Amino acid sequence: MSSLQNTASAGEVVHPLKQPKPAELSPEMKLVQEALFRHVGKPLPRKEDGRLITGKGRFSDDFSLPGQTYAAIVRSPYPHARINGIDKTEALESPGVLLVLTGEDILADNILPIPHNPVPSTNFDMKLRAKDGSHAFTGPHYLLPADKARHVGEAVAIVVAETAAQAADGAEKVMVDWEELPFVTDTAKAAEPGAPAVWDEVPGNVFIDTTFGDVEGTNAAFAAADHVVKAEFHIHRVTGVTMEPRASLGSYDPETKRYTLYAGSGGAVRQKNELSKVLGIEPKDLRVLSFDVGGNFGTRNRVYVEFGLVLWASRKLGRPVKFTATRSESFLTDYQGRDLVTKVELAIRKDGRFLAMRADNLSNVGGRAVSLSPLSKGSGLITGSYDIPYATLRARAVFSNTMCTQAYRSSGRPEVTFAIERMCELAADQLGFDKLELRRMNLVPPSAMPYVNAVGSVYDSGEYEKNMDRALELAEWSTFEARKAEAATRGKLLGRGFANYVESSIGTPKERAEIEIKDDGTVEVVIGTQPSGQGHETSFAQVVADMLQVPVEKVWIVIGDTDIVSVGGGSHSGRSMRHAGTVMAMASADLLAEGRRRSAELLGTTPGEIDFEGGVFRQRNTNHAVDIFELGRRTRASHGTLRVVRDNEMHTPVFPNGAAICEVEVDRETGHVQIVRYTSIDDVGRCINPLIVHGQTHGGIAQGVGQAMWELCAIDAESGQPLAGSLMDYGMPRSDTMPSFTCEIAEVFSPTNPLGIKAGGEGGTTPALATVVNAVVDALSEFGVTDIQMPVTPATVWRAMNTGRNAS
Amino acid sequence: MYATTYHRPKTIAEAVALYEGSEDASYLSGGHTLIPALKNRLAAPQHLIDVRAIPELSGIAVTADRVVIGAATRHAAVAACEDVKAAIPALCGLAGSIGDVQVRHMGTIGGSTANNDPAADYPSAVLSLDAVVHTDRRVLAADDFFQGLYTTALAPGEILVRIEFRIPEIAGYAKFRNPASRYSMAAAFVSRHRDGKVRVAITGAGNGGVFRWSEAEERLADDLTPAALDGLALDPSLMMGDMHAPADYRAHLVAVMSRRAVENLGRTYIL
Repeated sequence: MSSLQNTASAGEVVHPLKQPKPAELSPEMKLVQEALFRHVGKPLPRKEDGRLITGKGRFSDDFSLPGQTYAAIVRSPYPHARINGIDKTEALESPGVLLVLTGEDILADNILPIPHNPVPSTNFDMKLRAKDGSHAFTGPHYLLPADKARHVGEAVAIVVAETAAQAADGAEKVMVDWEELPFVTDTAKAAEPGAPAVWDEVPGNVFIDTTFGDVEGTNAAFAAADHVVKAEFHIHRVTGVTMEPRASLGSYDPETKRYTLYAGSGGAVRQKNELSKVLGIEPKDLRVLSFDVGGNFGTRNRVYVEFGLVLWASRKLGRPVKFTATRSESFLTDYQGRDLVTKVELAIRKDGRFLAMRADNLSNVGGRAVSLSPLSKGSGLITGSYDIPYATLRARAVFSNTMCTQAYRSSGRPEVTFAIERMCELAADQLGFDKLELRRMNLVPPSAMPYVNAVGSVYDSGEYEKNMDRALELAEWSTFEARKAEAATRGKLLGRGFANYVESSIGTPKERAEIEIKDDGTVEVVIGTQPSGQGHETSFAQVVADMLQVPVEKVWIVIGDTDIVSVGGGSHSGRSMRHAGTVMAMASADLLAEGRRRSAELLGTTPGEIDFEGGVFRQRNTNHAVDIFELGRRTRASHGTLRVVRDNEMHTPVFPNGAAICEVEVDRETGHVQIVRYTSIDDVGRCINPLIVHGQTHGGIAQGVGQAMWELCAIDAESGQPLAGSLMDYGMPRSDTMPSFTCEIAEVFSPTNPLGIKAGGEGGTTPALATVVNAVVDALSEFGVTDIQMPVTPATVWRAMNTGRNAS
Repeated sequence: MYATTYHRPKTIAEAVALYEGSEDASYLSGGHTLIPALKNRLAAPQHLIDVRAIPELSGIAVTADRVVIGAATRHAAVAACEDVKAAIPALCGLAGSIGDVQVRHMGTIGGSTANNDPAADYPSAVLSLDAVVHTDRRVLAADDFFQGLYTTALAPGEILVRIEFRIPEIAGYAKFRNPASRYSMAAAFVSRHRDGKVRVAITGAGNGGVFRWSEAEERLADDLTPAALDGLALDPSLMMGDMHAPADYRAHLVAVMSRRAVENLGRTYIL
């Protein structure tokens, strides 16, 4: 018998795709399905663009309140140091300074740690635990620590003054008595015996250590395998570099005892719920407003200490307090992404079939655990797009003296995709298989869907080989050699890289939609997701317009004010369209049912005699009719506003998938890499607005390519100091370093939700790291290069070529 | 940024008087080094004296053998000047390769030259084109002007007024950009002058800032072809090293960029 250790929860919960078919759709849901997709599927230009490009966006720092004051933060210059005391005297004497608060004040005021709840908890998330199986110690996240700083840039005091410059002056005068402590920043070193402990509670720094999969079955398969291929990869740390630095404006009203926070984020409801716990108040006593958000990528999903600090300081001071991060502060203290060390072994039969896989994944969470989503998400997908019968994964998370990590665009999936797709290349190289044929023979076939992978994830649908074939065709894979020969005449090495991918979108399960027919002839939709450039105002309006059969211009989406949006999971993990689309469909169905009842009463018939078409309720075979807006007006007095509220909860994950191909030209003399072609095919399930999905794909590709090519949160090993503190040293993708992309959308509808949606925001990123590195390694193959560490900067590529030259 | 007082004098005399009259003043031109330093509180002059409104510091003049550019002239103006393009196309290309559009409409040739950032472009042109630097009080040869990282012969309070470039027989500029900042990580400005002398100026790489590569000059004087530089290497211990380019890589890039400058005489090559 196999010893199934702590398997993915599919063992305990029957997966919906494995359950009997659900009951018949209600007449309204049928109507919705029939009526669907008049606007859906059309590339409507974005409603929000006019506002945004004419400077009418409302970003956090655009808000100001009467009597507003300004905050500056005192930050740790050390990666690890005890706070023996903080002297505020000189700062408080500095002109304009009104208030100085420290970690001691936090404790005195009973301000509680941010309840990040880092362990993902939906039924289908991998269950991460401490080594002994207990709930893990994740490190309390006080707004200001009283004991010690655990990373460079950690906030240790807030200074509030009349002006921003006076606050900055005051911050320089806060005297912290530091006692430097030994530190560790490197991911692998943090988990080694004897590493300095970031938390006394976890002497070895490793606070999560869980093994998934069938250990005995895996061992047996390895023992029987003809070949075993091994490798180790570090998917290095990057940061979001949102265009809008994080900002917050907090205000406390002593009369109502209510707090108000203006702060852009990935979802205002989460901010409200968690910050109210920090302040020890009821959620209803905190209003959070988050309108236009200048980039998120996961970076803004979690609560930042400054958001709590401005609220608390505002109560202490009796005036509004504003904090806006500088770009330097963003580089130091925005939640960062990736940073996974993975050791992988693949057992292979002599004909090329993958038999089993072992992975040892170590995630660097930084000074405390804000989110384990990257480790968890990746854990469920270690086998990638391939049918590997047995797999065992040891998933560990480790503290280090670095900024905390968080889910970052396609949390955890680019990391494991990188590992399995690099393993495909290495196995093909080492064992003499064709890289594509090796992949092809191991792909999960459509006939196996829904497919349960070896660690228990249930892939809902997909046609992986078809994606692969289409990508190869679009990329003109077969005529590569001619292009390579031409490039050689210019002193360039042409390389090509291929990667399949499958990812999962889970996300917070609850969402609520409120739809109201307004007297002015518009439809108002209140929803709890939070766009940061994704175009929800357009694509959501398309969905509702389709369902209610009204012009898309009539539909307005309301987001971002917790006094209006009461429930909402925010935007992350590719959840927005799927969760919001589904609940909006359900709410639309409810609205039509109510409309049918009201119109039947109005027209003197029964609801069963009412047809709904073109936005009009009509008594069958008569010309008695009333349109939806008129119905709202005429029944308001008798029945109240024509309005519905619908809650929905969906736990079942979807698995977007696809393939990507990249061609690079490497300058033989300098190691300079230029991407000359990039092709992708992405199965996003039902595509609501292809214009927006393509935009998402393009941005996603740039973000993944950016990590592969340039981006790196470098830390000096000697001092523990971050080296890339500005755009002078943190390399970003640019328009002229990207080719024009060739992207196609594949639509294999997901059976998990009524609209058949998967997700479209992260597929561009997921395979990009592997695709780029595979291409660069291919270009360098004549130098004997078989692997290379990201980012593949010119210096790194030159070094790899030189090492190869010298070795041969 | 700390509080500072901004001045905008209309004459050189007024600017110098302001400088002399204050204990802690700094001249400001395009501000592309100074303003970020101020914003990060790394510099804190009490007085900022903006020299861009002084008429003598503006304008471009091209004669039979000279291109004369006022110190406050923006990079964009140099890049777009047809007369300069006809005389020294590589100089226009260099100006057009600095930063981005916004930078080129604010940054000035005098600011770049006077600051002598080791990764700046203009110092290599000034040195290679054997320019003469005119200040409010004297005239300096390029070879005497640059004196190490961020250091020039300019005395405190001395104002760079204009730069007078010799029009060469031909010149080329090749730059390898830092992948993050896009400043030069190794760049070579190669000129052959009408007297037959070749001057090779390297920026972005040397640990003492811009410098002339005399071995390369000797070889190219006899044979102005990329092959003439084959086998010629620089000592990595003379190069800067950082996370983007260790010293040995920079030394290598200097040699490659020098060859590419020779391959691209009359043009600019940017990688």
